[in-house]
Amino acid sequence: MNSEAKLQKAPSTKNVAIRKKKKASSLDARKARAGWLFVLPFIIGFVIIYAPIVYDSLIYSFAKINVVAGGGFTLTWVGLSNYQEALFVDVSFVQTLVTGIKQLVFDIPAIVIFSLFMAVILNEKMIGRAAFRAIFFIPVILSTGLIDKIDQDNQMLSYMENTGSVDLGDGGASQTTQIITSLDIQNLFKDMAIGTELLTYVVGIVNDIYNVVNRSGVQLLIFLAALQSISPAIYESCAIDGATQWEIFWKVTLPMISPMILVNTVYTIIDSFTSASNTVMSYIEKTYESSTVLSSSMAWMYFILVMVIIAAVGGIISAFTFYQRQER
Amino acid sequence: MNAQNAPKVTKETKNSIRVEFERTSLRERLRIKYLSPSFLVSAVWWLFRFILLVGLAYIVLLPFFSKIAGSFMSPEDFIDVSVKYIPKYPTLHQYKAILTENNYWLAFINTLTLSLAAAFIQTFVCAFIGYGFAKFKFKGSGLLFLLVILTMIIPHQTLRLSLFMKFRYFDIFGIFNLLGGGISDGLKILPFTSLELTNSFWPIVLMSLSGLAYKNGLYIFMMRQFYRGVPDELEESAYLDGCNTMMTYFRIILPLSVPMMVTIFLFAFCWQWTDSFYTEVFFPSMNITMMPDIVKVPKSIDTAFAAGDLYESAIKNTCGLTIIVPLIFIYLFGQRFLVQGIERSGIVG
Repeated sequence: MNSEAKLQKAPSTKNVAIRKKKKASSLDARKARAGWLFVLPFIIGFVIIYAPIVYDSLIYSFAKINVVAGGGFTLTWVGLSNYQEALFVDVSFVQTLVTGIKQLVFDIPAIVIFSLFMAVILNEKMIGRAAFRAIFFIPVILSTGLIDKIDQDNQMLSYMENTGSVDLGDGGASQTTQIITSLDIQNLFKDMAIGTELLTYVVGIVNDIYNVVNRSGVQLLIFLAALQSISPAIYESCAIDGATQWEIFWKVTLPMISPMILVNTVYTIIDSFTSASNTVMSYIEKTYESSTVLSSSMAWMYFILVMVIIAAVGGIISAFTFYQRQER
Repeated sequence: MNAQNAPKVTKETKNSIRVEFERTSLRERLRIKYLSPSFLVSAVWWLFRFILLVGLAYIVLLPFFSKIAGSFMSPEDFIDVSVKYIPKYPTLHQYKAILTENNYWLAFINTLTLSLAAAFIQTFVCAFIGYGFAKFKFKGSGLLFLLVILTMIIPHQTLRLSLFMKFRYFDIFGIFNLLGGGISDGLKILPFTSLELTNSFWPIVLMSLSGLAYKNGLYIFMMRQFYRGVPDELEESAYLDGCNTMMTYFRIILPLSVPMMVTIFLFAFCWQWTDSFYTEVFFPSMNITMMPDIVKVPKSIDTAFAAGDLYESAIKNTCGLTIIVPLIFIYLFGQRFLVQGIERSGIVG
């Protein structure tokens, strides 16, 4: 009792002032106030900058802009005409959108499975593990933004590669530069009942390996961290019960890291927005040069489509996701 | 164990004994170790894994090799079809031309200033915000965090036009417009109706200050996960010793989170350094030379010959190389932080 009274006297003058107004404020209330203080920069930024930007962007997609000479601009509401123009007047937007979305849907499993595979391999103890990990992470830092853009029309690489090796995602995939042709895989899968769609898909991924490797750096690390967080005791008990490595992978490892599969899938989709190899985004950027409002409405359509994909894919994956423990 | 195989013990000197036991012969031991099927399987697996990893590492590194090789080539090398990787007439004139004619150093200084400022601000602001989300439960904190995730999900590329418009005609809820445009005729408090913040560092600084710049949502998320791993007892003991929350944060929590902040600083710096999107949006008149502006063929270099296209692309690659040289050094020294940062961030936990 006595010590409590002492504690009550201790706080600084500021706290005393607050208490006069509101009587003694509880620790919870004070902590809540401190919490608001900490996230205040974000709140201010969100209210002053971000929310208006998103709102404006929506408005612009429904309007025409006239820049006034003296500074400022005026908007005229034109309803859905920007969207109509993008969908029905613009010749190649719908086509670009469809191929872009298709590409995205095809890329997701390739990147996620590849990074999971690499993580499982790199998780084993071996010589030079740290070096390999560092190498696979290089593209995350060095092949972004500007460099990615330069690489997009890089003839140098295809020139050096045209003796017959990996196609490095330079677009001009000629027959000689492919690492494997569909014939090779056709021979391999001759006797299995696999449709040609899957065949072209696998060939496409193998030939696009440069892009897949380049874009799976962060995902690889996330999977690695997830793999390392699985308790070795589980593996030990599996081994004692006589499970093979193959069984352990499907029955233990995969369920344990399934939440990270969800995270990585969403990350991959969002990351693909900003990559320069994203054809839809570069088309929208090209449109931006000629008609800014049109590009705005295109961007919104693309964004909403991708959100639908994220929701669908997320829903499907989370149905199979296994959570070992409840959220803290 | 039977009697024949029992170790033979002989006394050698006063204080040492010699134990002799029949060992399996070396040949036998090697045979058992290396000719068993399990060893064969693991050897094949090791070989397969090694080849796979080296091959993939080759794919990652090849573009850099080809860029470096191309950067030393002279025009003669591009005409000569026998030259693939190693130039026959190596020269430095691509570098010389880029460094002297493309305003490289100016772009370097400008980008360095912007990247350092942005990275510093983003690191501290994101740590600050992340701490608020990690350690304090208040009404609406869940909703606010959802908004952070939202800023992470909506790519700024889709907001391009309004990003530009916002900072070209910067205004806070129309207050500037109201004050500058006149509440009534003749009553103008401000001499302008909106601030033109483009063509300056302000847009990026402002967005960094409020944790809205490129991938800041991710940084906030990483910091939050990191702070959630810090035991509450640390703060409680600081409170008992008479610290308020701010003092606790700056004196106790901040020094603790330096490794994580280094990670975020490196990410923010590198991504701002190679950024071309924000530079294009916020510096439309190119009055400030930034890194994207130097990616062009220098005037003194003539590319009008048979293999000119190739030469041009090699020059652009060289531009890219000169841009990422500082990042390569950062990566060599900070790789540990970058790789471990993601792992330790507890995106997983």
